[in-house]
Amino acid sequence: MEIEERIEPLACGRDAAEVWDAAVAGRLDEHARSCPHCGAAAADALRLDGVVHRLADERPVPPASVLDRVMNAVADTVIAELRPQDLLVLDSPAGPARLSRAAAARVIRHVVDGMDGMRARSCRIEQDPDTGERTTAQVAITVTARFGVDLASVTARVRQMVLAAGEQALGVPVSRVDITVVDLWEGP
Amino acid sequence: MSTPAGSTPPPTPPVRLHVADVVVARIAAAAARAVPGVAALRPDLGQALLGLAGSLLGEQGGPLSAAGAAATVDGDVARISLTLVTTLGHNCRDLAAAVQRAVGAQIRTETGLGAVVTVTVADVALSPG
Repeated sequence: MEIEERIEPLACGRDAAEVWDAAVAGRLDEHARSCPHCGAAAADALRLDGVVHRLADERPVPPASVLDRVMNAVADTVIAELRPQDLLVLDSPAGPARLSRAAAARVIRHVVDGMDGMRARSCRIEQDPDTGERTTAQVAITVTARFGVDLASVTARVRQMVLAAGEQALGVPVSRVDITVVDLWEGP
Repeated sequence: MSTPAGSTPPPTPPVRLHVADVVVARIAAAAARAVPGVAALRPDLGQALLGLAGSLLGEQGGPLSAAGAAATVDGDVARISLTLVTTLGHNCRDLAAAVQRAVGAQIRTETGLGAVVTVTVADVALSPG
């Protein structure tokens, strides 16, 4: 991402993006293999990689009956009639393409939910209307964290997860991530 | 009847092929459904109710579904709009572009029309099925 400014590192001082890339490439160094903060960031990277590449190979199972499918379609349509302000612009070279903002937010929440010690609460994605060549999005997300999870690393990990998911799963480049930790929970 | 010697044979009468909007929509819908990562096309309310009526009446072997696709033919260009549900794991931007290319190519092959394909990803299925 070219818009990247200097950002907060993990609690151990490493850059989450570098740990992330090393984990995907399978070349974590000595420190990263033993450090819990780097370990968490590496686990995030591998998990997103799994989601993005494993599910792509699976074929969807057809629903039980045509009737179910139609009923679901009716329900979906009634609930979510898409208006232009509900859509994000996808930068497709082959014509006009858009993505439901609610669906994009759901994908981001889903991947953040899967992070160790983290639950996503709300997620909002904004996109500046047509600012030229590459339209970027801003994401605001609230999360709750497990008590004991290093909060300094949470910011770096969530930020990295949102940037990567935006690029890999959605195809929407993200230029800013606002993260609010709204609560803590106790447990495994 | 024989043509009098020296005269030219009558010219072939001009034939013009018109392809109805709904035909384009049905071809586009079928082409889009075949792209890997497209979980379904999402019909609008009218199409959904028609489909519901059809399945209640036990309609079989009806026309190829155009649900989730709309098209207007304008001269030699078809303007097509598709509403999709994709599967998580397929990059939405790349999938939209793949659908646009596949549909455009199919429309050109089958109708000879140029195609402008607008894709809206209405939803992303988080788990297959």
